[in-house]
Amino acid sequence: MSQNELSLEQLKKKVSHLERENAKLKGQIEQVEKERGEYLQNVSHQLVAPLNAIKWHIENLTAGRINVERGKTVLKSVYSQATIAVHLAKNFNLMSNLEADHALKKLKEPLQEIELHRLMVNLANDFQPLAWDRNINIIVDDENFDKRPTVLAMKPLINQVFSNIIENAVKYSDKDTKVIIKGKYLDESDTFLVTISNYGIPLNTDLCKKIFDRGVRSDEAKRKYPAGTGFGLYIAKRIIEIHEGTITAITRNGLTIFEVTLSVRGLKGKARVRA
Amino acid sequence: MPNKTVLLIDDEQSFLEPLADALESEGYRVLKARAADEAFDLLETEHIDLVTIDIMLDPGSAFIDDVDSHSTGIHLCEAIKEEWPNIDAFCISVVSDMKIIKKIESLGIRFLRKGETPLRTVLNMLRSRLTGIAYSTERDRKDFKRKP
Repeated sequence: MSQNELSLEQLKKKVSHLERENAKLKGQIEQVEKERGEYLQNVSHQLVAPLNAIKWHIENLTAGRINVERGKTVLKSVYSQATIAVHLAKNFNLMSNLEADHALKKLKEPLQEIELHRLMVNLANDFQPLAWDRNINIIVDDENFDKRPTVLAMKPLINQVFSNIIENAVKYSDKDTKVIIKGKYLDESDTFLVTISNYGIPLNTDLCKKIFDRGVRSDEAKRKYPAGTGFGLYIAKRIIEIHEGTITAITRNGLTIFEVTLSVRGLKGKARVRA
Repeated sequence: MPNKTVLLIDDEQSFLEPLADALESEGYRVLKARAADEAFDLLETEHIDLVTIDIMLDPGSAFIDDVDSHSTGIHLCEAIKEEWPNIDAFCISVVSDMKIIKKIESLGIRFLRKGETPLRTVLNMLRSRLTGIAYSTERDRKDFKRKP
């Protein structure tokens, strides 16, 4: 009898404990759902904004509100907005795969020889129209960029890494400044180092580490540029990790510097596949 | 040629430019501010007839306590209605939160959804306010139906 009473007491305690656990889990699920909702709303806004801007530009062109000369500038802006929309769409596609480990294999692509100098020049050209808005000049420093060797990596993913870093550098740069891109082959480690520097919102030591975490944006970044998901650098870090490279951020003398190293010979244990 | 000045306050250049082009094509003088502090500088030094305000806005050196991305635009709307009550104001933003929209409209500021409202509609509404000629959806339809 006494044993039964004790069991009942224990059962009550267990039920009570399970109820608390249940409530806790329910709270966590609600929080995740809330974050997902906010994320989707943010994604939707970011993707829709450049498309809507393009619509407004096209309305002006078709209604004959601007002359031919202005029209050329507008078309450059339309091109720039389309580039941003494509870039964001790729990010969100990558994000959904990076979030689910079982989908990581979807990211595996043949390794290709990449000329990093050429890649940086192409990306600088893509983002320059956006940068002109605040008189920011993106410079690929030819004298300080080794043209060889190429690196063996998954090109579309590496393209997205540097797109994200350059887009951030442009977005958070002060007006009338430069974004400078340099590249150096490091003989001793057989790696290629790319540095992207800009003058803008400084990152403190703590943020330099956290800035690659999912969804992290500095308070100053959120204040000055409300739109943003905080996923660009997270995606960059995950892709660089897949390539067994490194990515770091430092702030020195007002200059924010992102450094990326990639193995020249590609991922360990992977056969070289020439595209 | 209309002799009126419009101040556009928005940190998204991609929306500032087409709206400025459309207004300039009708002969209006257009000023642009990319942050709240730039907007105050222009409001204090220029004669402005109409202002458009974005909600999610860079505060610059104004409203230094704002940390919420929506606060700056709302504070700016309040400040403009308080200090420059004679300037016609429109809010053009992507914000969809009805609480914020109601707050803006309670200040007597017309709210238009940025991007989703066709540019011709925005232009016709601003023109109507600047000229005093009533806005009509018929004008929108005519623009839309006009043959090339």
